[in-house]
Amino acid sequence: MIAEQDLPAAPSRSRRSLLEPERVKGLTLVAVVLATVFIFSVVVDDYLSARFVSRLLIAISITALVAAGETLVIITRNIDLSVGSMVGVAAYLTAEMLAENQGLSAPIAVLVAVGIGTALGLVNGVLVAVARLPSIIATLGTLSIYRSLLTNHAGGKTISTGSLPAWLIDLPRSTLFRLGRYDVRTMFAVTLGIAVVLHLALQYTRGGRHLYALGSNPEAARQAGLNERRIQITAFAGCGALAGLAGFLYVGRFGTINVTAGSGLELAAIAAAVVGGVSTLGGSGTIMGAFLGAVLIGVLDQSLVRVEQISEFWRDAILGALIFIAVFLDVTVGRRLKERARRRAIDEAREVEHG
Amino acid sequence: MSETEFGPAPPTGAPILSVIDVSKSFGSTHALRGVALDLHAGEVHSLVGENGAGKSTLIKVMTGLYRPDAGHVALDGHAVELRTPAIAQSLGIACIYQEPLVFPDLSVSENIFMGHTGRGRLVHWRDMDERAGEILRQLEVDIDPRAVASQLTVAGQQAVEIAKAMSRDVRVLIMDEPTAALSAHEVRRLFRQVARLAESGVAVLFVSHRLDEVFEISDRITVFRDGQHISTKPAAEVTEVSLIRDMVGRELSDFFRRVPHEPGEVALSVEGLSRAGAFENISFDVRRGEVLGFAGLVGSGRTEVAEALFGVRRADSGTIRTDGEVLQISSPREAMEHGIAYVSEDRRRLGLSLPQSVAANITLPGLRRFVSRWWLIDRNAERRAAEVYRERLQIRTTSLSTPVGVLSGGNQQKVMLAKWLDLKPSVLIFDEPTRGIDVGAKADVHELIGELAEGGVAVILISSDLPEVLAMSDRVLVMREGRQMGIFADADLDQERIMMAAVGVE
Repeated sequence: MIAEQDLPAAPSRSRRSLLEPERVKGLTLVAVVLATVFIFSVVVDDYLSARFVSRLLIAISITALVAAGETLVIITRNIDLSVGSMVGVAAYLTAEMLAENQGLSAPIAVLVAVGIGTALGLVNGVLVAVARLPSIIATLGTLSIYRSLLTNHAGGKTISTGSLPAWLIDLPRSTLFRLGRYDVRTMFAVTLGIAVVLHLALQYTRGGRHLYALGSNPEAARQAGLNERRIQITAFAGCGALAGLAGFLYVGRFGTINVTAGSGLELAAIAAAVVGGVSTLGGSGTIMGAFLGAVLIGVLDQSLVRVEQISEFWRDAILGALIFIAVFLDVTVGRRLKERARRRAIDEAREVEHG
Repeated sequence: MSETEFGPAPPTGAPILSVIDVSKSFGSTHALRGVALDLHAGEVHSLVGENGAGKSTLIKVMTGLYRPDAGHVALDGHAVELRTPAIAQSLGIACIYQEPLVFPDLSVSENIFMGHTGRGRLVHWRDMDERAGEILRQLEVDIDPRAVASQLTVAGQQAVEIAKAMSRDVRVLIMDEPTAALSAHEVRRLFRQVARLAESGVAVLFVSHRLDEVFEISDRITVFRDGQHISTKPAAEVTEVSLIRDMVGRELSDFFRRVPHEPGEVALSVEGLSRAGAFENISFDVRRGEVLGFAGLVGSGRTEVAEALFGVRRADSGTIRTDGEVLQISSPREAMEHGIAYVSEDRRRLGLSLPQSVAANITLPGLRRFVSRWWLIDRNAERRAAEVYRERLQIRTTSLSTPVGVLSGGNQQKVMLAKWLDLKPSVLIFDEPTRGIDVGAKADVHELIGELAEGGVAVILISSDLPEVLAMSDRVLVMREGRQMGIFADADLDQERIMMAAVGVE
């Protein structure tokens, strides 16, 4: 048996190998996205046209924002099913306000959309954190309540492109800079920027780490003196805020807004997060992972239309299958990697035990 | 292994923490009736008592999880109101539980500093990792602060919990059954850590069912029984017999010793069983009416062998026979069909459905026997069956429809045993059946194992409690690092020889 006092002064072994589960997940996802793009570019003529890429980036932006918000909630071991309705309410009310006051500036419109989303997210947060409803039930309720309130308010009216200010209609075509023959759209750049900032915030701020702590072990989080309610409410409000911003982009992308705006987005957002490696058990996953998940889903969704052999009815089924595959790989491969790491830890413990 | 001295230091001056006339009731149950306890700086104070004695309730009062109905807790002579765990922690009261309360997805350093990362909104990872590494080195453990907590062993996670307490400038450290999941070596290290904390002026409250450990580590020993304070004495003035008498209030005949009798035919025969990375070349027979003990350190592969026999995880090679017939077991269901049952060591995770009733838990594996016409469960038959086991095993519960989760550890264990007994297995594997349960429940379990063997069941008993294995077993198989070190019988059944085989000393 070795004397324990003789242990190295500093932990010398680095267990952060390339095979760290988080990193494997991220790299795999990048590889899958690249492979998907490659396959489509072989199958489809002129696949990567400038127009297609622009449309793709705009579509990804909206899903990615909602998925980032969903990730905040899922990390805390909750789920938000009402994101599609929040996008719809924010989009419709913002468009309505702009139609009535053409002179309103863009920052005000963004603030209004984000404010509406935040308010709705706060309601979800209070229902879960204070009223103690399971999040799946609370947000299933608000999913239909928000949508019903919107339908009542709108009375079936559609807001059309003609009534919206010109700067908003031009927004999807607004370009930050050109990269070769491709335009990098402002909407996409802003989304990517938000995702990066949020990603870093989750890794490097106390508030961000508290989300992970609560989702990883709620009991331990309470014992550590973390404010469970505040963390949960923050996550839901943040999710609402991002859904509100996505609602604003939604107005810009489609121009024509009716009461069904954003419905079904919850499926895409949850799928993006899960495909991106966010564990529905809480405590793990990253915003950039969810972003990559949104990219993969966006690529598939936008590309399958262009493959004539595949009927559009299959698109949703393929999306569903993708979720299965992602979770399956996460569970099997992830478990194997964890098992390896655990066994290594045990072996090391044994080495110490027996020298 | 060097012996460390834990000489008793008589308490001097005023206590850091005092529990004064604290009472706590849950409905009609009086969990605590006016108990008192003093903890002095630098002392290791053990609290012992059967399950239901009120130890857990007192810990929860001291850590701010429960508020007492009457009485109070005083720190440095001043009454304090511990409304939340956060308040208790900010006053320097920390608790380490049997099952470490870690954040499995977070790094070791985050686990240590969560909730008190320091000022500012940003997390300084490198700084935090360095400070964590420093504390871990003081604890003599080689754990990378950046490792993810779920990848650590239980002992490692516990070290992280102690580091967490140290990082908070703890004044009172409560340890609730901290050694239950540790190997002998890890226990030594833990005790050195506790001694060092005490030397630095921390008051330690040590709660354990392992009396030998209590004697080894304590300066003073307090006994609770039925929610009442029975005695507090310097450890030197207490003997094992007097302690047990205080705990149970009656004389316990010495350790239950099974009377072996002539075993019958071979019930289970295992040959060359191997699974890569877990165990290799395990061969043994168990006869009807025989108890085969499995000894070895934690992590020696005993549980893994049991899991292979029960079909939880398949072995790579080797044969398993029951009554001479070669089996292919790939699921617990198939194992059960061949009369093999396994009472898992991890009753919370694998053994019981905590929100479900006592009756539902007991009848679950054999549920098809209670299905009446129209595929409905015959509730009355289910109840009658459960009632039999409640009587036989003396399961203490207000009713059979009580959720298992609210019972004490010992009674949960009995429910779990009842569940497997109901299958009437011919081979029954017990994995640490008495870990963390009180003396009375332990004796009940030992008696039951004896009865089962007498009734012709082939029993495999995995236990880290060496006296228990020796008292209960006809023969003992010793494992070390996944290998079979030998099967000991008759004159070779000797603590020292078995321990030497288990640690690999020739």
